[in-house]
Amino acid sequence: MNVLVLSGYGINCENETLHAFEVVGFKGKIVHINDLIQNAKQLNNYQVFAIPGGFSYGDDTGSGNAMAKKILTNLYDQLIDFSLKDKLIIGICNGCQILINLGLVPSLNKKDPEVAMIENKSGSYECRWVDVKVNNNKSPWLKNISILNLPVAHQEGQFMIPINLLKSIKANNLIGLQYINNHKKLAKGQFPFNPNGSKDDIAALTNQNGNILAMMPHPERAFYHYHVPNWQNNTSKKFGDGYKIFMNAKKFFA
Amino acid sequence: MTNTIQILSIEKTGKESSLQKEHNNKSIKIIDGYFFSRNLDDQKFTKISKLISNDVSQTILTKKNVNKVLSSYCNFNWVVEIKFLPGVTDNIATTVKEIIKDNLKSSFKSFELGSTKIILIKGRKEDITKISKNEANPLIQTIKIYPFKKYLNNFKKNQFKIEKVKLPKKKYSKKEVNLDISDYHLSLIGKLGIEENDKSRRGTLGLDLESLKTIRNYFSTIKRKPTDVEIETLAQTWSEHCKHKIFSAKIDDIQEGIFKKYIKGATEKIIQLRKDNFCVSLFTDNAGGIEFNKDWIICHKVETHNTPSALDPFGGAITGIVGVNRDCLGFGKGAKPIANTYAYYLANPSKKYQLYRQKNKDPMLPANFIAKGIISGVRVGGNCSGIPTPQGNVYFDDRFAGKPLVFCGTVGIIPKKIKGKLSHKKKANPGDIILMAGGRVGKDGIHGATFSSEELDPNSPVSAVQIGDPITQKKMSDVIIRELRDENLYSSITDNGAGGLSSSIGEMAKESGGFIVNLEKVPLKYNGLYPWEIWVSESQERMTLAVPPANVKKVIKRFNARGVEATIIGKFIKKEKAIVKYNKTEILNLNMEFLHEGYPKLNLKTSFPKIKKEKKKIIKNSSLIDKLHKLLSSPNIVSKEFIATQYDHEVQATSIIKPLQGEGRVFGNATAIKPLFDDEKSIALSQAAYPQYAETNPYDMAGCSIDTAYKNLIVSGANSKKIAILDNFCWCSSDEPDRLYQLKEAAKACYDYAVAYQTPFISGKDSMFNDFKGFDKTGKSVKISIPPTLLISSIGVVDKISHLTKMTPDDGDILLVLGNTRNELQDSVYFKIIGYEKSKNPVVNSKDALRTYRNFEKANKLGIINSAIGIDLGGIGIAVIKMAIASKKGLTIDLKLKNKISVDQFLFSETQSRILVSMKKNKLANFKKIFKGSDYTIIGKCTGSDVIEFKDNKKIIRGKISDFAKSYKQNIKGL
Repeated sequence: MNVLVLSGYGINCENETLHAFEVVGFKGKIVHINDLIQNAKQLNNYQVFAIPGGFSYGDDTGSGNAMAKKILTNLYDQLIDFSLKDKLIIGICNGCQILINLGLVPSLNKKDPEVAMIENKSGSYECRWVDVKVNNNKSPWLKNISILNLPVAHQEGQFMIPINLLKSIKANNLIGLQYINNHKKLAKGQFPFNPNGSKDDIAALTNQNGNILAMMPHPERAFYHYHVPNWQNNTSKKFGDGYKIFMNAKKFFA
Repeated sequence: MTNTIQILSIEKTGKESSLQKEHNNKSIKIIDGYFFSRNLDDQKFTKISKLISNDVSQTILTKKNVNKVLSSYCNFNWVVEIKFLPGVTDNIATTVKEIIKDNLKSSFKSFELGSTKIILIKGRKEDITKISKNEANPLIQTIKIYPFKKYLNNFKKNQFKIEKVKLPKKKYSKKEVNLDISDYHLSLIGKLGIEENDKSRRGTLGLDLESLKTIRNYFSTIKRKPTDVEIETLAQTWSEHCKHKIFSAKIDDIQEGIFKKYIKGATEKIIQLRKDNFCVSLFTDNAGGIEFNKDWIICHKVETHNTPSALDPFGGAITGIVGVNRDCLGFGKGAKPIANTYAYYLANPSKKYQLYRQKNKDPMLPANFIAKGIISGVRVGGNCSGIPTPQGNVYFDDRFAGKPLVFCGTVGIIPKKIKGKLSHKKKANPGDIILMAGGRVGKDGIHGATFSSEELDPNSPVSAVQIGDPITQKKMSDVIIRELRDENLYSSITDNGAGGLSSSIGEMAKESGGFIVNLEKVPLKYNGLYPWEIWVSESQERMTLAVPPANVKKVIKRFNARGVEATIIGKFIKKEKAIVKYNKTEILNLNMEFLHEGYPKLNLKTSFPKIKKEKKKIIKNSSLIDKLHKLLSSPNIVSKEFIATQYDHEVQATSIIKPLQGEGRVFGNATAIKPLFDDEKSIALSQAAYPQYAETNPYDMAGCSIDTAYKNLIVSGANSKKIAILDNFCWCSSDEPDRLYQLKEAAKACYDYAVAYQTPFISGKDSMFNDFKGFDKTGKSVKISIPPTLLISSIGVVDKISHLTKMTPDDGDILLVLGNTRNELQDSVYFKIIGYEKSKNPVVNSKDALRTYRNFEKANKLGIINSAIGIDLGGIGIAVIKMAIASKKGLTIDLKLKNKISVDQFLFSETQSRILVSMKKNKLANFKKIFKGSDYTIIGKCTGSDVIEFKDNKKIIRGKISDFAKSYKQNIKGL
């Protein structure tokens, strides 16, 4: 089991993302986007393609847009090939924004992006912990998980989805994660439970096949128990909730 | 055909909402504009538009649709167009160019591009003027206001214009400067700069008369006139910013100066006493380094960026944070930045100070604009760089109205050995190539180093402002830390900060002997720069490397492969000569010795200042609960959560003690990160400064800063033997004897307390002239000096996860205050807000303090302490409430007081070296054994209810936690 973790141009969560994959049993490598463009064939050696969080191109022209355009120009076909095989793709935070801008998720109709990531309703950057519930159990990334406590850290985390598309997203069960409140009910847009005002409290989307997950919260930052706020009140567990996502990837190939 | 692409969001953006709210106008829309230097045909327009927009959320304006699209929102009538001034870093434009080039390859010829913010409103002209004032800074941006009709017309007629750098096409000829002139004319050169042929002046050199005479003497001995480049270089190298002349000067009877005697002196004394390997690299490098574990070193550096932040708060602050990141990259062979710290000392953002740099013109930016800009600058710098920013604080005082203080710090980590060689040692060898990597050079920040040494006055140059580009730096940083360093491909490295190449190469050449630089090789942002400008420019995001000739090709190739430019610009030599050429003409040739040590040493005298004790009267008829609410909601105590949530403190997945603590999210005064996956050791960080105590007693002020910064780490669980501190002195009027007296006193306290606590100073910086000289709104001349401010930053190692403490007690816990409480309300928050007549200022008794700290450490390691919080601003009263808010658990506090102390004195005194702790009842016996002979008071218990109770002999006073939390979490007015 090999994971390729993308880097370059301001992506910045590659180390901790790779670490999380390695701990659950993957072998992995951080590969610079330019090296991947130079030699796209190396994708064949990997089962998981991970686009970590960060600030690719400083969010200029919209978060994830510039990197998506670089991939679109230089790597798109190879990535589509990858996604059509029995392989997994994950985009976390900036990675999520890149996948959305590439149109790989939800990918219901056409090649162009169908969903946009726009600025948080609060107008400011939000770094905070949230609770999300799993909506789509059929994605290998999310199997057998019900609720996760994870941090978000973004300026543009609001999923903007045209109404008709939202209907088909729901009909196809492509909402991966949704923000919930302290009573474990949907946040209904209420801040800070829903940190960005995302419609239907959407925190993650998948493609139809479920093998591509685009999620705004950071599982790799909730990997160990001591990542979790106020962990000192509960030191019995070794791992935080983020661990489950990476374990699911492992289970998929095991 | 068109030369602009303009994009707007279909839905209201967060920015639009906040603008609409702020200006009470629902008809505001923002357009992202891109102006091109050449026309785009329809096909290119469509293609490029698609590349830089998202058609789900955005609409692209065209000649055809613009009227229809915009009128669907409302009938706009005014427009403001905000563009960067020519030559100012435009990060968005850079990205867009890169996207276009990558996608269109060679099918699109070279072009210039400017990003523009266009704001449309329906309202009056006054409204749009007001918006433009809040949204743009005339120092770095052009602001054009015009009617909406004209905007439509511009659209039709392709009349949007891009601002280009227009520098006169000039051929450089070597310029010699005549110094054989009168003292008056000589001092003009120092103050206003070298005279150009057209009689204009280049801008301040910050050289005093004596320095200029020293330069004159040097050149008369070598029998030639100095070139302009030589004088500029000497001005940079000898600046207060680079040489710290005041700290190294003889002062009264202290021959060696206060830095050597008190700061370095303290560290040397401590090293001599400790006999361990804790201190690795001190004072000589870009940051100070200490041992983290057997394989790793951590380094820490804190810088200030005050004057630039006064002129351009966002640019000043972002440059501050990415600049100090480079200090870590330039530590040893290059440390990876793993945490940022910040501390802002600002004027009250809700007040209007109305200060002018010149009579009735050139206004200072409003206090809230400065505060917001600074907070955002560090946010963008830190977040975009992928470096967590967990630790910081903000303090407000009217005396920062003329100059804000912006402290930016970075912690880095580096393996002790790289390919078998000690990583903190570096040496540029003769023959090594000088390689400049990263961004290009423009006119940005020319004269930054010399001008940060001077007071802010009308002659402060505008080009002294730079804007950081964190992404360019991140790309460069990744190549250095991940690829080049671990293969040992270079022999030395340093960053380009103040003074630019003149400073970085000048410093590195000390390692080899000297250098030869060919300035025409330096890549430029635009043509037309004079050689002296290239040499001293402070364009950001550049590192200078010394690379053995055999590795140069490989190094350049690596940089290029990652989208980073790297250029050979010269070589290091053995001969102790500094030589700069421009197209083969030698324009600088100085002895290294004279360059670095030739400056005239100052001889300073101090005198005892008159103490202006602020007198306050008690406000009567105020209940205890009322006072607590007043204090809690005061700007210096109120929660800084809104900053903590803007700053990504989780990136790198190292955050272990976060800025917001407990379920109730209290803004903590220390944080911790766990930097390595395979070692449970953590790094605890804190900082402290007490400008409010400075005028009463600068010695005690410094003592309090050190004590608090140290205490916060002890409380968080750090190993007392592994704590180091950094000193950042921000002073005012350092040419006045009474200010120098305060400086000397503060420095003396630094020695005394550092030695007492055995915490070495590992790095520091000073900024000596934080004064504003200008005019008030009536045209009366005013001088506003900051209160002397000494920021002590502390960094410590926590050996085990289990040693990390929390501030949340559990039901049934007993509460204790460790340390003695005295009547020390002078200059406290209580003093400022409530008022008090007779009191003393806080004084640190290091012996008592150390006893408390050692015992606490012992008790904590034994698991006796359940929760703890350092007591500082607002005293026990505020500490108790913070505990209750954090844990959402009620407390009962017993006010049966001893030592004839009043209730208010007990609750609000800011006596230092105290810790509020809680523990399980059954631990009390063990606790007492450890604390035998040490001061502590049992003050109450944790009830778990929803109220805090204060019990007197006669009555019980109650307050709801949720009410206190409301006061504590109030918004700061104006932010």
